[in-house]
Amino acid sequence: MGPLAPNELISENTNFLLAFFIGIAFGWVLESSGFSSSRKLAGIFYGYDAVVLKVFFTAAITAMLGLLFMSLFGWIDLSLVYVNPTYLSSAIVGGVVMGVGFIMGGFCPGTSFCGAAIGKIDAMVFIAGLFIGVYGFAFTYGWWEKLYLANYLGEPKVSEKLGMSDGLFGLFMILAALGMFIVAEWAEKKFPREEY
Amino acid sequence: MKQLKLLALFVIPLGIIIAAVPADRVSQSRLSPAELLQEAGAGVQFIAPDAVADLLVQKDPSLRLIDVRTPEEFDAYSMPGAINIPLSSLLAEEYRDVLNQDAYLNVFYSNGSVYANQAWMITRQLGYENNFVLEGGLNYWFGNILSPREPSQTSPDDEFARYDFRKSAAAALGGGGVVSTDAGTPVVKAAKPAVTAKAKKKPSGGC
Repeated sequence: MGPLAPNELISENTNFLLAFFIGIAFGWVLESSGFSSSRKLAGIFYGYDAVVLKVFFTAAITAMLGLLFMSLFGWIDLSLVYVNPTYLSSAIVGGVVMGVGFIMGGFCPGTSFCGAAIGKIDAMVFIAGLFIGVYGFAFTYGWWEKLYLANYLGEPKVSEKLGMSDGLFGLFMILAALGMFIVAEWAEKKFPREEY
Repeated sequence: MKQLKLLALFVIPLGIIIAAVPADRVSQSRLSPAELLQEAGAGVQFIAPDAVADLLVQKDPSLRLIDVRTPEEFDAYSMPGAINIPLSSLLAEEYRDVLNQDAYLNVFYSNGSVYANQAWMITRQLGYENNFVLEGGLNYWFGNILSPREPSQTSPDDEFARYDFRKSAAAALGGGGVVSTDAGTPVVKAAKPAVTAKAKKKPSGGC
């Protein structure tokens, strides 16, 4: 029963090998969805192209349904699946920094590597900036530590906070995603752009 | 728009199915027989009687003793503060919240440790945590905690320390056989219970 690595069904090295192949597949899907174009990515903020929203939310609800059904069939123990711990303050600040960087740079970390892989210079510059940010944060960690660790909430689940079952929350999530897709398609028609 | 309809056609029925499934079916983890055998073999379910005595003396509110013997036996004698859940009614709906929780340290006991072990196995199979078994059961409890035997003069120091602890624990818990000969000896506290039911460690990482 999964997850494979924590239950020691596969070794740590096999885990990395699987991650390598999954990573390649992920990059390929990103590139073929047009995620290596910063103009296409930034389109979500202006309304002319909502491919980011559509691809990522489709991926999210697919993964969500997959995990819930696999748990139902007894194939995976969800209590052993890693969930990022929530530090509310740094999550909000980090989200804002990431969002601003996304609009300005036209890439998010994953897609910048995707763009660099097909030789886009703007993506390479973005990656350089990314490393400056990472090292800058690491070397000045002492300044941010208090903010970084503030408002620790553990590993909360929205379904738990709302007092509903995971499955019911999943259904609402699907409906919300489809609703957003409809709005996104409406926006694409409303704010069209010829060439980008 | 056509793709969107196609997507909706797939995900909405799946969402309705998963929403209709009872919550405990989706997220409950059950142990496989092999995993259960491994845990039982390692003896992770046992909690030492000295640790229980220590918690009782300290009046630790998180300790919950559960007597799995029959109500008649429970009425005849029970450990301080214990509740009675006979093994035959372990699966009753009314006890589910008692057994499947993460606030208390549940300790099953019976005369020996066979029935308590059976109770632990059943709850563990259901995926419940924080349930333990009093090692040795009531027989050991009576014979060694409530009426400890003085070790021989040549015994190592920790034997004496344990004896002193048990003697004072017995006095606090109203046991018999308390002889106050060397009252000046400091009481060494028993180690905290080893709550190590979670053998698997959470993976770390992220995206």
